[in-house]
Amino acid sequence: MSSPTAQTDYHAMGDEDFRREVRAFVEREYPPRLRYILHRARWREMKGWWRRLYEKGWIAPNWPRSRGGMALDAGKMVIYLEEMERHGVARPPDQGITQVGPLIMRFGTAAQQEHYLPRTLSGEYIWCQGYSEPNAGSDLAGLQTAAVLEGEHFVVNGQKIWTSLADDATHIYLLARTGKGAKKQQGISFLLVDLKTPGITLRPIRNLAGHDEFCQVFFDNVRVPRGNLVGELDDGWTVAKALLGFERLSIGSPRRPQYALNRLEAIARAKGLFGDPGFVDRFTALKLDIEDGATLYGRFVEQVKRGEPLGHDVSMLKIWTMETWQRLTELLVEAGAEQGVLAGVHDVAGVEADFLNPFYYSRPATIYGGSSEIQRNILAKYVLKLPG
Amino acid sequence: MMATSSGTLSTPSAEHRGLLAESVADFVARGTDIARVRRLRGTSAEYDRALWKKMAGLGWLGILVPERYGGLGLGLADMAIVARGLARALIPEPLTATAVAAATALGAAENEALKRAQLPRLVAGDLLPVLAWQEQAGGLDPAAVETRATPFEGGFKLNGTKRFVAGAAQADAFLVSARAGGGVVLLLLPRETAGAALSFEPLADGRAFGTLALHDALVPRSGLAASGAAALEALARAFDHGCAIAGAELAGVMDRALEMSLDYLRTRVQFGKPIGAFQALQHRAVDLHIHRELASAVLEEALDVLDRNPAAPARAAAASRVKARCADAATRITREAIQFHGAIGFTDEFDVGLYLKRALVLTAWLGGATWHRRRYARLAIESST
Repeated sequence: MSSPTAQTDYHAMGDEDFRREVRAFVEREYPPRLRYILHRARWREMKGWWRRLYEKGWIAPNWPRSRGGMALDAGKMVIYLEEMERHGVARPPDQGITQVGPLIMRFGTAAQQEHYLPRTLSGEYIWCQGYSEPNAGSDLAGLQTAAVLEGEHFVVNGQKIWTSLADDATHIYLLARTGKGAKKQQGISFLLVDLKTPGITLRPIRNLAGHDEFCQVFFDNVRVPRGNLVGELDDGWTVAKALLGFERLSIGSPRRPQYALNRLEAIARAKGLFGDPGFVDRFTALKLDIEDGATLYGRFVEQVKRGEPLGHDVSMLKIWTMETWQRLTELLVEAGAEQGVLAGVHDVAGVEADFLNPFYYSRPATIYGGSSEIQRNILAKYVLKLPG
Repeated sequence: MMATSSGTLSTPSAEHRGLLAESVADFVARGTDIARVRRLRGTSAEYDRALWKKMAGLGWLGILVPERYGGLGLGLADMAIVARGLARALIPEPLTATAVAAATALGAAENEALKRAQLPRLVAGDLLPVLAWQEQAGGLDPAAVETRATPFEGGFKLNGTKRFVAGAAQADAFLVSARAGGGVVLLLLPRETAGAALSFEPLADGRAFGTLALHDALVPRSGLAASGAAALEALARAFDHGCAIAGAELAGVMDRALEMSLDYLRTRVQFGKPIGAFQALQHRAVDLHIHRELASAVLEEALDVLDRNPAAPARAAAASRVKARCADAATRITREAIQFHGAIGFTDEFDVGLYLKRALVLTAWLGGATWHRRRYARLAIESST
C-alpha cells in the first residue's frame, strides 16, 4: 500500500465544501452492497474500503496530520461522521484508529508510536479490544486476567470474552492485572499483544442472529515483551479511561433507528397497515420518539461543534436511541405477523423485508458500550447528583 | 424593563433572552407565590387583574403583537421564556389564552380599524380578550362551527353555545367564531353584551372553562375581525401558537415538579439513607430527566421553526410535535412526582399535587398527546403523497 499522500489542511476548507467533498467521495467509492448492513462488518468485506480511505488520507479523521490523519476540528469531525452515517457506511474494524492509536499517541513511548501507528493506519495491524471477562462485564475493574513480570516479559494467563471480531484482528489491546492496590482500579496495566503469540486461543461465539461476531480469547502462559506496556505499570485504568468524546456521541446517533423506521414504513405501506388506526398510533408515537431523539442528538452535536467538551449527560442519548430502536424492531416483527418470524430476507408485496435481524441486532444495544443500567447510574450520580 | 428597551429587543439574541429570563425569575420571586395561587383556586376571580397590569408593564402581553399596534414584535421563542418561567410558579393568569391565542387571532384579522383600536389595549392589559371557538368536547376543527351569525341591522346576531373558553373569568371580550352563510366569521363580542350569558365549569387546577350561551347577542359590523378563509386561518394560527406556548407552560410545570422530586430524593431519609440512594428510584428519576430534556429540545427547535413563519402544514406539524411531547413528558413527570413523595404527595397541602393538576389541564386544553400525534401523522402522510 502506498503511504497517505493527501495532506490537505482541512482547517482552511469551509464546512459546506468539506461536506460536499466527503459526500461525493462516499457515494462514489463505498460498495453499495455494504450500505446499512446490520452485522458488524468483517475485515474481508471492509478491506477494500479501508484501502480507498487510506490512499485518500482519510482513514484517521481524528489523528494529527503528522501521523497521517486528517486533524479535523470538532465541527468537521461531526460532518465526517454524519456523511458516513447518512450513506449507511459500515464501521470497519476501526478500534486501532478510534481507540488504541490515540492512546499510544498519548501514553506510548516513541518506539511504540513509530512501530504501531503507521501499521495501524495502513491496515496491516487490525486491533481488537481485550477488556471484558466472564466475571468482569459492567464491573470491568473486577478483571482477573493476570500479567506477571518475569524478566523482560509479562506472562499473561486468563481469558477475555465478547471480543468483537477477534478472528479478524492481528493484535489485541489488553487490560490485565499486574498488581494489587487499595482500589480494584489500581494494579491494572495496558498491554499490546500480537495475536500470533504462542499460547493464545480464539473461540468464536455465535450470537442470536446466527453470526460469529465475537470471540472468547484464552491466554495460556503468553509471553508479552515488557516494551508492549503502554503507560505506567499498574496504571492501565488511567490509560483506558482517557477515551471519551466522539465515541459517546456516535453511539447515541439516531441513524440506525431512523433507517429501521424507514424500512418499517415501506413494509407497512406494502401490507396496507396504515389503514389500521391502532398501528398508525403506535407507528407515529415511535416516529416522534425517533425524530425528537434526533433533535436532542442535534443539541449535543452543536455542543461538540462549538468546541465544548461533552459531559456525562450525553449518556441519555444512548439510553433513548437504543431503547427506541428496540421498541421499533419489536413493532417490525409484530407488523410482519407470520412473515415476521421467518428467518432471512423476504419479499413482502414487492418490498424486501428483513424482520428478525433488526430485532436481534437491537437486543445487545442496551448491553454493549455501557449498559442502559450503567448509563442510568452515571446520569443519577453525575447529572442529577443523587446520593450514592 | 422590556418595554423601555423594545427598540433594541427587535433583534433577538442570547443576551436579551438571558435578560428576559432574569426578569421573569425576578417577577416570580417577588410578584407571586404558591399562597397566592392557592387563594385564587376555585374563586370566581380566578386571577388577578392588578398583577396582569404589571405583566403588561413588563411588555410581556405585547411580545407577539407587531410594533405598529403597540407591541414588541418579538417571537414565540421569547414568549416561551416568559410562559415557561411563569408556569413554574403556577400562575393562574391567562397568558397563553390572551397574549398568545387571542393576540395571534386578532393580529391575523382583516379588520384594520379593529386591530388599531384593540391590540394596543390588549398590550396595555386594559382589554383582556379570549377565544371562544370550541363547541364540542374534543372538537378541535375551527371550521366545525354550529353557532350562527345572521346579518342584522348592518351587524350580526349570534345564536349558539361556545364551550371550553379558557381565561373567561375576568375576560372583557370574546373572539367568537360563528357560521355566516357558507363561511365562518370571527367576531369580537364585548362581555357585557345583552344575550351573552357566561357560566363556568370548574377545572382540576382551580381555574374554570367558561361556557358562553348566545341568544340573539348583537355584534356591530365594526366587531367583524375576519371572515371566510381569513377567519379560519386566524383561528388555525392562534391554535398552533397556543399549542406551542402551552407546551412551554408544560415545560415550566415539569421543570419545577422534577426539581421538587429530586430535592425530596436527596433529603428524605428511610432505612438510614436518603431514598435517592436507591437504584430503583434513581433510574426512574433519570428517565424523567431524559423526558424533560427531550421536551426542551423539541420545544426549542419547534419555536425556531414557528418563528420563521412557515406555511400552515409545517406550522401545524411543529405545533403538534411540541404539544404531544410536552404533554406526555409533563404528565409522566408530575404523576411520578406524586409517587416519589409518597403519602405527602397525595395531600392537598403539599404543592407537588398542584403541578399534577396544572399538567392535566394544560394537556387536555388545545388537544392531548394522542390527538396531536394523529394530526402529525395526517400531515406527514399528506406531505409525502
